[in-house]
Amino acid sequence: MTNSPVAAELRSEDVSVWFGERQVLKDVNLTFRANRVTALIGPSGCGKSTFLRTLNRMHELIPSAGLAGSILLDGKDIYDPSVNPVDVRMQIGMVFQKPNPFPTMSIRDNVLSGLKLSGLRVDNKDELLETSLKRASIWNEVKDRLGEPATALSGGQQQRLCIARSLAMNPKVLLMDEPCSALDPGSTRRIEATIEELSESMTIVIVTHNMQQAQRVSHETAFFLADENTPGGVVEFGSTEQVFGQPIDERTNDYVNGHFG
Amino acid sequence: MEKVVADRRPAKQPWNKSSKLASFAGGRGIADATLIALAVLLAAVVFGLLLSVLWSVISAGAGAMSPQFLYQNNRYISTTTSLEYGGVGHAILGTLWLVLLATLVALPLGLAIAVYLTQSQSKLRNLVRSITQALAGLPSVVSGLFVLSIISFLGAQKSGIFGALALFPLMLPTVARVAEEALRLVPADLRLAALGLGAPNYRAFFQVILPAAKSGIITALLLGLARVVGETAPLILTIQANNGTNLNPFDGGVATLPTYIYGFISAGYASSITRAWGASLVLLILVGILFITARLLTADKKKKKAKK
Repeated sequence: MTNSPVAAELRSEDVSVWFGERQVLKDVNLTFRANRVTALIGPSGCGKSTFLRTLNRMHELIPSAGLAGSILLDGKDIYDPSVNPVDVRMQIGMVFQKPNPFPTMSIRDNVLSGLKLSGLRVDNKDELLETSLKRASIWNEVKDRLGEPATALSGGQQQRLCIARSLAMNPKVLLMDEPCSALDPGSTRRIEATIEELSESMTIVIVTHNMQQAQRVSHETAFFLADENTPGGVVEFGSTEQVFGQPIDERTNDYVNGHFG
Repeated sequence: MEKVVADRRPAKQPWNKSSKLASFAGGRGIADATLIALAVLLAAVVFGLLLSVLWSVISAGAGAMSPQFLYQNNRYISTTTSLEYGGVGHAILGTLWLVLLATLVALPLGLAIAVYLTQSQSKLRNLVRSITQALAGLPSVVSGLFVLSIISFLGAQKSGIFGALALFPLMLPTVARVAEEALRLVPADLRLAALGLGAPNYRAFFQVILPAAKSGIITALLLGLARVVGETAPLILTIQANNGTNLNPFDGGVATLPTYIYGFISAGYASSITRAWGASLVLLILVGILFITARLLTADKKKKKAKK
């Protein structure tokens, strides 16, 4: 394993999603370019988090979940029958809404947990530990207490620890599902700075309800919307500047200017 | 001055004026007061019952207590032998041994049931849960009778292994139910986090979910032990008594605390009755140790949660 991961392009082609009989997403076509941060915005229930989970095959863990279309990681379909979902999730990391460090493990073991959980071996664990924590901008705060339980950290620190935990696997893509929604403004700012640095080495997709955050951290923005009783889909996709400055679709305009949702 | 005091009193509501109980309820009404009084009364009744049981066992059993009572066996002791000789050492060992044998099967199987009920999506889960619950209602004497029928079917001799076999179905549902609750308490996020890092299901379970539920599973084990450690009927039906120490579960009789108590209390002599009470006290202490351990372990878990 190297310490310089290669960012990859992630692309969804005609992705539709069902929960049982109910279709929640229809024909989503998006391209997440390498080394770019893409924000997924839209009102609650429009399917953006669901879509995010299709990108690293976490979606299929929900019973009754169905999917059509394909997700291409550097041109290879991650839903191909020959592909092991476990390998996909190692290459495409995920940070969740609520910080979820493993409560029975120390800070150190949390960062390195991915190795143990996936059965990977690495020569220099301490180096990986330090790099991962540094990349998540939390090294200075925890370097003297690596043996303490992860639950002793504050909420913001726990979330950055979770980011470090994902980074230790050297993912090509990092998916973030409202990573700051449970955090205070200071922690939010720090994580946003981290996202900016990380985009130099990986592709990032972030779901957020915070319009300012989308404008601060993302290069591109996709606006999701689900009209009543119809499945959700992408209304507009473009550079963040354009989507917020000169939206083409009237619904996007209404949403980014706070007229609904 | 007098006026101020009068104004402050919450006695304006009619039900507060005279009733002491009503003011105890914080002035929230006669129904509250009645319920609190009832709860306190019932708690006192339960507490009183517990104390009287404890007291009768301790006062009657203390007479038999001595170091030698704890470690000697009962060989050459008759129902009328002086209390200076003999003890329940063999019965303590026998009880622990049989319960351990039952645990060796009930713990893995109970845990497996709990894992199946919490981790799988199978439609058979409800059926398995119902069967486990039904098993919890199995009278212990029926379990003993069932094993006795196995013994006579096989033409075998009664021995320790059959006693353990009769205890096993009594222990299993307790272990399964408590372990299921413990596993259910582990937040779903943790499993998702593990899977999101590229863990196969089994690694996510063994390295994340199981450690997080550890103290709850230990509680399941201890409650399962406490459930069977005092069982008498299944043992009377499936093992032979023994005055000496015998740790071979496949051959010969074995003494256990409950069967020892039953045997000596039935004899009816003053010293044998005291021996039975002494063994009861030992059994009570054994169960007490189990419950206190279980409580300490769950308290530890809550503390960790509060920290989080």
